[in-house]
Amino acid sequence: MENVLRLTDMSIAFGGLMALDGLNLEVNKGEIVAIIGPNGAGKTTAFNCITGIYTPTSGNIEYLGESIINKEPSDITKKGIARTFQNIRLFKELSVFENVLIAMHLRYNDNIFTSTFRLNKKMEDEMREETKKLLDSQDLYKYRNDVAGSLPYGIQRRLEIARALATSPTLLLLDEPAAGMNPQETMELTSYIKKIRDEFGLTVLLIEHHMDLVMDISERIYVIDFGKLIAKGTAEEVQNNPKVIEAYLGVQDDA
Amino acid sequence: MNKLNFKEKTNINLLMYLAIIVVSVTILIFLDMNKFQYNYVISIIEKSLVYAVVALSMNIVTGFTGLFSLGQAGFMALGAYTTAILTIPIASRPNVYYMNGILPALENAIVPIPVALILGGVVAGVFAALIGIPILRLKSDYLAIATLGFSEIIRAVIASPMMDKITNGSYGLKSIPGFKSSLECFAYSLICIVIMILIINSSTGRDFKAVREDEIAARAVGINLFKTKELSFVVSSFFTGIGGGLLAMFMRSIDSKTFQITLTYDILLIVVLGGIGSITGSIVGAFFVTAGKELLRFFDEPLIIGGVQIPLFKPGFRMVIFSILLMIVVLFFRKGLLGGKELSFNKLMKVRRKKNLDEPGGNA
Repeated sequence: MENVLRLTDMSIAFGGLMALDGLNLEVNKGEIVAIIGPNGAGKTTAFNCITGIYTPTSGNIEYLGESIINKEPSDITKKGIARTFQNIRLFKELSVFENVLIAMHLRYNDNIFTSTFRLNKKMEDEMREETKKLLDSQDLYKYRNDVAGSLPYGIQRRLEIARALATSPTLLLLDEPAAGMNPQETMELTSYIKKIRDEFGLTVLLIEHHMDLVMDISERIYVIDFGKLIAKGTAEEVQNNPKVIEAYLGVQDDA
Repeated sequence: MNKLNFKEKTNINLLMYLAIIVVSVTILIFLDMNKFQYNYVISIIEKSLVYAVVALSMNIVTGFTGLFSLGQAGFMALGAYTTAILTIPIASRPNVYYMNGILPALENAIVPIPVALILGGVVAGVFAALIGIPILRLKSDYLAIATLGFSEIIRAVIASPMMDKITNGSYGLKSIPGFKSSLECFAYSLICIVIMILIINSSTGRDFKAVREDEIAARAVGINLFKTKELSFVVSSFFTGIGGGLLAMFMRSIDSKTFQITLTYDILLIVVLGGIGSITGSIVGAFFVTAGKELLRFFDEPLIIGGVQIPLFKPGFRMVIFSILLMIVVLFFRKGLLGGKELSFNKLMKVRRKKNLDEPGGNA
């Protein structure tokens, strides 16, 4: 199986706090892999390292066999890693259409002169056509003129995923995609993630708290606690691992 | 069908803007023909046009990219001095530099006005590019302070004795060729404004807006934060420089005091009043503020009612009234007169149509 992402001994410290301590993780092509762990375990920090927002203190991150440490976040996105955020980060005052259109831009090469004097008209038309297609396929076209910040929560989540898809990623990182969703919506999201994985040929790495979703969807699970990997394996293996139970439920103190 | 609708919309707006331009040109031609009678009005219009250019350029960086920059006066000074030095007629140069003489290299350096304006923009742009590298890593208020400081440094350097042979130090420059007619001023301003509007509405402009909305999300969709900010800052400063050149032509004589911090505040006022992030807001705001300050001159004249002189009416009172008006605008239109939106004829017409429909038996 082709390897897409590999973290080797990745650590990051903020001052004296080891947010991540020697994390090893790999994701193979076409997989859906989940990272779980209690609050503050370092899951989002791991995402921020992968996408270049933080630079790890030590260790390595390889994407398709190439180290992506010390690269600009925008360059990492151009290489094919797209993400969503735990607290939705849309371009709130822009329309749904513009949100996706902006993300389309990275695949096209124009500069300020060609774009100002509309010498890139062909590209621009193409971008708009692609945006329309993508919104259509994600069932968001009817919202195209709405201001992104005014949409219902669930739609905003889907728009954020659509925006990530617009960068035509190979690897999609989803940071708590089901946060704030009810069981019905979570079920829909589960099938939606599978659907886009097949449709767009994606590899998915996700952080999630909803165990239903995680157990249902992921081929492999990594469990992090206090920055350390405490378990990995299939849903069943992880569920029965005493360390995981301890991390989530606490250990009983026998007097 | 949607596509057709979209095209119709753009066409109506374009036609209306063309109509406005034609009407403005007609009015300006009329005013130019009666120059002596309308001298005052013409100068207000010219000043408004120049301020509209600078306000819109400030809006690119502040309103559309979300970088709070207060360096406007400095970049205007760079543009103004470049334009002035390169356009003052050679014959009058000994008169201008009567105290310290002129640098031999500049003695015969003269270029046509449009070229001088563009060079003024280029000089401002180059300086912006250089200082942008360190300071664009700063955020919000820190950036404002850094740009403010830069602007004051430029002013100090221009006035310093070291620069006597180039900028004429604290004596300033005069005999700058002015606008031959208000149409000339209108043409330069219009070209700048149209190009800036094209930039804002292009794919590059969309990147600017993405950075304004959310820097982290912008990076996550492949926008290089630093390059985009730098680009916006340079483009904005380029047009600010041209605006400075236009101001020099409008005033015909400049010195370093022209470009004090108050000039930046004047521009900031226009941008905030018109609406941060609104193109039409900046343009309307420029006319509103410039004309407003002049029309209120009435309050500066002594007022005598029934033989009693009202004590408040003396020079300076108009600025009090003006400030009160500003406070009212800020209180009631917190986001400026246009609040990030654009004046659009489609919307105006839509409102009218709706009203017609609402009227009983209005539109059956």
